[in-house]
Amino acid sequence: MEALLSQLPIGLSIAAVLMLVALGLTFTFGQMGVINMAHGEFMMAGAYTAYVLQDWTGREAVLAALPVAFAVAGAMGLVLERAAVRRFYGRPLDTLLLTWGVSLVLQQLARDIFGAPNVQVRAPGWLDGGVRMFGSQLPYTRLFIIVLAAVSALAIWAYQNRTRQGRRMRSVMQNRQLAACSGIDTGRVDQLTFFIGSGLAGVAGVALTLIGPIGPNLGTYYIVDAFLVVVAGGLGRLRGAVIAALALGLLDSYAEFWTDASLAKVIGFAAIVVFLQARPQGLFVLRSRALT
Amino acid sequence: MAEVMLEVSGLQAAYGRSQVLFGVDLTVRPGELVTVMGRNGVGKTTLLNSIMGLLPPTAGTVTFDGTDVTRARTFQRVRSGMGYVPQGHETFPQLTVWENLQVTLEATGRTDRTAVDDALEVFPRLTGLLKRRAGFLSGGQQQQLAIARALVTRPRLLILDEPTEGVQPSIIREIEEAIEGLHRDRGLAVLLVEQYFDLALRLADAFVILDGGAVRHSGTAADLHTDEVKNLLAV
Repeated sequence: MEALLSQLPIGLSIAAVLMLVALGLTFTFGQMGVINMAHGEFMMAGAYTAYVLQDWTGREAVLAALPVAFAVAGAMGLVLERAAVRRFYGRPLDTLLLTWGVSLVLQQLARDIFGAPNVQVRAPGWLDGGVRMFGSQLPYTRLFIIVLAAVSALAIWAYQNRTRQGRRMRSVMQNRQLAACSGIDTGRVDQLTFFIGSGLAGVAGVALTLIGPIGPNLGTYYIVDAFLVVVAGGLGRLRGAVIAALALGLLDSYAEFWTDASLAKVIGFAAIVVFLQARPQGLFVLRSRALT
Repeated sequence: MAEVMLEVSGLQAAYGRSQVLFGVDLTVRPGELVTVMGRNGVGKTTLLNSIMGLLPPTAGTVTFDGTDVTRARTFQRVRSGMGYVPQGHETFPQLTVWENLQVTLEATGRTDRTAVDDALEVFPRLTGLLKRRAGFLSGGQQQQLAIARALVTRPRLLILDEPTEGVQPSIIREIEEAIEGLHRDRGLAVLLVEQYFDLALRLADAFVILDGGAVRHSGTAADLHTDEVKNLLAV
């Protein structure tokens, strides 16, 4: 029992990382249907933002980088949307190729600017150490990521359901033509949605600096997991993405506990394949007369 | 002759390579109800979508209140006073009835709620449904919401595409009365696509009959009773 519980904090922290990397995708992929392969590189940009800020802020870089990385990655997303993605709406395969190309370019760009070797961002001093939970040590950095994931998810929920912009975004995603017929500038809503989704990738990138070194390939390690979470959760469903991230994170930690790291990965993928066979639409499906 | 509110001239439109409209002319004067008639597949819905900019026309012009809006985006046309109720009781299905109206009100940039109150006055049935999700309403209720949503944009010209299609008979009556009231009592100009000959007969000041993507026949209410018109509309 003790051993079983000891995996809980580890599972939660894996889940929090999954949640953070997937939250941005609930906007760009879930709401807009854009398969943005460069999403991972926006995370990388967020991580390097923290690295660059380190020169000025020292060990407090992580905190300072959160808003800056949001703006940097968001701006990159905005440029991508304006320059290219908007010309490919409704053509998912073309978008996939396009953004994959962009992701390769961004990786090379990072290599040219920061060099190929991994770099390190030092965590703030107040995140040194950890807390003992259920017989296992949970570093404060992991706890910080868990809190950050929870706060981000709550903020997104509030944005979508409690603000004018959020309501406008939902209306465009539910019925684009009718939104235009209601006087909504759908292009502007697309821009804002893409900006927020990409900005969240930047925030996730900052969080990733707390759990390991960062390099030009950072995004490629997380992009598949991020898409899996969003698909398993049900497209565009925030609640689904949160629960899917929790389930996958816990499954991963327990599978690794009983087997080993690579087998845990296999078990995770297998579980998703089986799950999607049973529920191709994901955990939560939009239901209404209009869609039946 | 009164000034012209909506003037469509030589409008052509196509879906990809298949052309649907071959030069349509049409005018709506302030306070007038004009009905567009024709069999299925003659381009009625395409015409309305082109007028609203949802399907950019390939040739011709659309002028509203003396301004050329042919290249304007749909939301700009809506904000300039063209209200549109597309075919098939369209709503934002996951938003509540209240949110459907509220999001429209916000998009128009106004802050006072009178536009919403006025729309609910036209369709009092909706008042009791404000907290329900639009997707769970019946077809007739959804259509009432669809028209109410368009009214919230405070249109000076209301464009309706088959507003009574697929609606239960009890609500058809309410919708017809609402359109009649908006037109007669509030002097709202209306451009109406409608299959039901009776409704058109009762309300229209002028009519246009489309066939094969072009205007086959047009005239005022008095001309509606001719045999030629009846032949053109016979299915």
